[in-house]
Amino acid sequence: MSDSQPTLDAITLSIMARALAGIAEEMGAVLIRGAYSSNIKERRDCSAALTDANGRMICQAEHIPVHLGAMQDSVLAVIEKNPVPGDVFMLNDPFAGGNHLPDITLVSPITLGDDDEILAYAVTRAHHSDIGGMRPGSMPADSREIYQEGLVIPPVRLVAAGLDNDEIMSIVLANVRTPDVRRGDLRAQLAANHRAGVRLRELAEQRGEPTLRAAFTDVLAYTERWTRHVIAELPDGVYRAESEIEGDGVTLDDIPIRVAVTVEGDALHVDFTGTADAVAGNVNCPLTVTRAACYFALRTLLPADVPGNAGAYAPVSLHAPEGSFVNARRPSAVVAGNVETSQRLTDTVLLALGQATEVPAQGQGTMNNLIIGGADWSYYETLGGGQGASRAGPGASGRHVGMTNTLNTPVEAFELEYPMRVARYELAYDTGGAGQHRGGDGFYRDIEVLAPATLSLISDRRRHGPAGRNGGGNGQPGENRLNDELLPAKASRQLEPGDVISVRTPGGGGWGEADKR
Amino acid sequence: MSEFRLGVDVGGTFTDLVAIGGGRVITAKVPSTPADQSKGVVDAIEASGLDADAISALAHGMTVATNALLERAGAKIALITTEGFRDILEIGRQNRPALYDLTQRPPEPLVAREHRFTVRERTGRDGVITPLDEASVDVAIEAIRAAGDIEAVAICLLFSFEYPEHEIAVAERVAAALPDLHISRSSAVLPEFREYERFATTTANAYLSPRLNRYLDNLARHLESAGLPEPTVMQSSGGVIDIASAAANAAKCVLSGPAGGVVGAAWLGQLSGEADMLTFDMGGTSTDVAPIANGEAPTTTDSIVAGVPIKLPMVNVHTVSAGGGSIAWADAGGALRVGPASAGAEPGPAAYDLGGERATVTDANVFMGHIANGTELGGRVVISRERAAEALEHLGSELSLDAEATARGIIDVANTEMANALRVISVARGVDPRDNALMAYGGAGPLHACALAEQLGMTKILVPRASGVLSALGLAVSDVRRDLTRPVLSGLDAANSATAEALYDDMIAEACAELDQPDIERTADLRYRGQSFELGVAADDWDALAERFHDAHETRYGYAMRDDPIELVNLRVTARVAVDKPELSEAAPEHEPEADTRAVLVDGDWRDIPVYAREELGRGSRVVGPAIVEFAETTCMVRPNWHGEIDAAGTLILEHSA
Repeated sequence: MSDSQPTLDAITLSIMARALAGIAEEMGAVLIRGAYSSNIKERRDCSAALTDANGRMICQAEHIPVHLGAMQDSVLAVIEKNPVPGDVFMLNDPFAGGNHLPDITLVSPITLGDDDEILAYAVTRAHHSDIGGMRPGSMPADSREIYQEGLVIPPVRLVAAGLDNDEIMSIVLANVRTPDVRRGDLRAQLAANHRAGVRLRELAEQRGEPTLRAAFTDVLAYTERWTRHVIAELPDGVYRAESEIEGDGVTLDDIPIRVAVTVEGDALHVDFTGTADAVAGNVNCPLTVTRAACYFALRTLLPADVPGNAGAYAPVSLHAPEGSFVNARRPSAVVAGNVETSQRLTDTVLLALGQATEVPAQGQGTMNNLIIGGADWSYYETLGGGQGASRAGPGASGRHVGMTNTLNTPVEAFELEYPMRVARYELAYDTGGAGQHRGGDGFYRDIEVLAPATLSLISDRRRHGPAGRNGGGNGQPGENRLNDELLPAKASRQLEPGDVISVRTPGGGGWGEADKR
Repeated sequence: MSEFRLGVDVGGTFTDLVAIGGGRVITAKVPSTPADQSKGVVDAIEASGLDADAISALAHGMTVATNALLERAGAKIALITTEGFRDILEIGRQNRPALYDLTQRPPEPLVAREHRFTVRERTGRDGVITPLDEASVDVAIEAIRAAGDIEAVAICLLFSFEYPEHEIAVAERVAAALPDLHISRSSAVLPEFREYERFATTTANAYLSPRLNRYLDNLARHLESAGLPEPTVMQSSGGVIDIASAAANAAKCVLSGPAGGVVGAAWLGQLSGEADMLTFDMGGTSTDVAPIANGEAPTTTDSIVAGVPIKLPMVNVHTVSAGGGSIAWADAGGALRVGPASAGAEPGPAAYDLGGERATVTDANVFMGHIANGTELGGRVVISRERAAEALEHLGSELSLDAEATARGIIDVANTEMANALRVISVARGVDPRDNALMAYGGAGPLHACALAEQLGMTKILVPRASGVLSALGLAVSDVRRDLTRPVLSGLDAANSATAEALYDDMIAEACAELDQPDIERTADLRYRGQSFELGVAADDWDALAERFHDAHETRYGYAMRDDPIELVNLRVTARVAVDKPELSEAAPEHEPEADTRAVLVDGDWRDIPVYAREELGRGSRVVGPAIVEFAETTCMVRPNWHGEIDAAGTLILEHSA
């Protein structure tokens, strides 16, 4: 924050913070409304943000925590490519600004006038339901290198100085199973990025360009002040915790995670030394995902109305040993790192912070990724489970916890769209941990396929239940079945008509001793 | 002689009445009676001084259903649903309400786990998969009987939007066994796909109907004994319906209150020649905004009320919890914030001198001279500028600002919140606010209208004479309205126009059986194949449907995909019986109005500006800003560069000169 300009007064700061957040929200609304795929429209698996010219995130429409703080890495990767006004960059490379291949990010430089220098970047990220690779849905449970997971897109111009680059688009569409849907979703992302430019220029006109530039700096400083204030309230010390991921899709062995969180004054250092090396399967995380998990844990300690921006991350430093499974290198497979390992990293950092402050019992700690696809269709859904109980009350049942918050696909929409039928969708009563406040229950989602298909199931918490807290019981681990066969946490199978996949999601941990209920 | 049409609107604090007839408009305002809102209705009619035999019709807007939903004070109900799907209402859409607050839970479902019962049956996209097992229905009936005090039951089966036969069979069996129970079945309440929203809407209907039924029954008896006509009831859609229909379809009335205001605003806009407007109703604790397009209040079907999705046609009112009573505060990051906490009516803003010590939006308006020191409110409160200044100084000291800068800041921050609310209903839907006039009403709307319009680039403002009783006025001029819908779910090219015509005919026949020779409006919900949000477009011309959809999509989302296949999702019919609209004629002033002057803070300078009493003005009276016009229940701050005059309908029309 050394490049500080005239500081805004308390009133202008408040107004500008709200106006900037309004732009990100509007981008998100444009994207969701205009998208084609149910994954974005129904489930809202997408995010939108603005960064300053240096790639620092100014504001974000908050839909999916795993995108938190990760989108600025995309902008940094784009800045290296010398963007000019009118460009729109596309990328998904986890080792160059992306997080996993299905998440395609579009980055647009914004200028106030045609010949001006770049003022900001508009960023949208959406989970596309297929990006090619070895299995429909591009979420294979058994990938061993990134090339199997789909088309890798380094930062490239989808629009170059205002002209559509149809050739790049044609490469993408030639590599995916549902090209029409991809094209529609990318169009919605373009519309959202476009809207950001229009609205930012309006804001500059209304409030003046110097005020807008000052606001970028000041809203970051504002959030940073607040974050440091919260960290400073925690007792200084080194807090350690351990956990595990239940297999990588290649072996069933637990993969250890170790973290040491150091609180020193108003700064936080997170160190993953002692965590396993990168594994053969796909639960590896690129650094950007590990960082997002740490930011999420910290964010849960801040008041709800602190604006989400890069200022919250300024007090945080991170050490993840290079080549470990929380800082994997090319060509490690990473598709499940984003959706499963990220959940456990969050749990583990909160377990450590729980020695310094009050935190709830653990929630289900998995996204229960269910991917089923045939020749010309692919279905991807993540399933809710038990929320952890807390001092405030019991955990909710059948909810998303941690790094995701996507909606379900309605049973009726599901059956109208896919050759499948839902046989059961109801709560698994009493799977939440016992306690003075009970953990939330998981649910059953049983699906019968009516046509030949491929299954990828990527889940966790099938052996180790989410931990209770303050004397509360653990939640029950989840369970995966194919007909009568018990499946491991991560599984891929060929399915025949009549096969039934049955997933029971984990319950949340309980809080407080049960006899005090 | 029966000549007066009455609108009676029950609000949180006051019950308002407007009577229109024989070229006259009579208004009355009495305190609301929350324990039994119908008493306030009778009080208001007495206060109007009208004889019972002078009243030909009475339209009623109320908050009985809204409050029961907000306070979770509806009936004790049971749910009967498909085996294997018992907890759709609790799972909802599986998302949590707050992304980073790990302790927050979604609202409890309206039916407790122990009162959710399942029956063995299943239909799917192609019809029956598992036939209805009647024995399982009997088990559910016995369980409901055993639970004792169940008042209503919601029957919600999968795929009933397309195949209602199982739901109908269950409903008949329940009705035969338990004749006193209210029954809501999802295929009747909302025959549309997506089970959670359909079940939630149906459940809300069951939850609210017994209570609304009792209330309306009681009201009708009170009115009958006073020799008054049977009332009609405002629905959320902006049209009224007979009380029997309302009582059986309580979910259609959850926005009965705000709908009246929007309809009133639309009608007054028409009288002044304004077809496209954004309404701005700012009250003490909250602000409602809504779009008016082509002279009418458009409806939406994706509302969530008190945490419950209600997918029935509702005027598109967006509410933010910021109003005159909103408390200003300095947050830990050093920013000035306004709301969402409110000082309410007690203790109220510091300026009320009833013990409130924290600065509010009203205090900022008092300090700046927009509201005069010593103004009496409701005969009880006398505005104290001194108290307001103290509160502002106290807050300012936390922010290193003086009282004046703090007051200006509070107004600016509050207006930014309002501007965002107006963007939600305009820009985010492809409507440019600059093409719209701003219709300002409510206790605080006209105070903020000019500054707000300037933030949004709007250049025209309407302030109606009946600013304080607009909802009641809207009721008095509301059409009778009935909304029907039928699912289709097929490709538009494959959809047979003859089949669609048959469905439309079916709905029109149903509407004509209930209403007397209604006007019919046909619309259809369409989407591109693969999308899951629909857009409604006029469907009077089948051949023009595709083109209209492409155009509507382009307006709303910025692009159209004209070569892509389109799906037809729902057909809709809106049937209306128009009521006679009265004339409003504003008389010219009897003499040249005399203005007082008052010191007001205008853009940083204290200036003595003219203050007019609205009663002194009349048709053709001109106002040039900066000036203040004091209405019976509100005050209009006319900022510099705004000027205007009162038109023939009595509405003050302000225009901005750049």
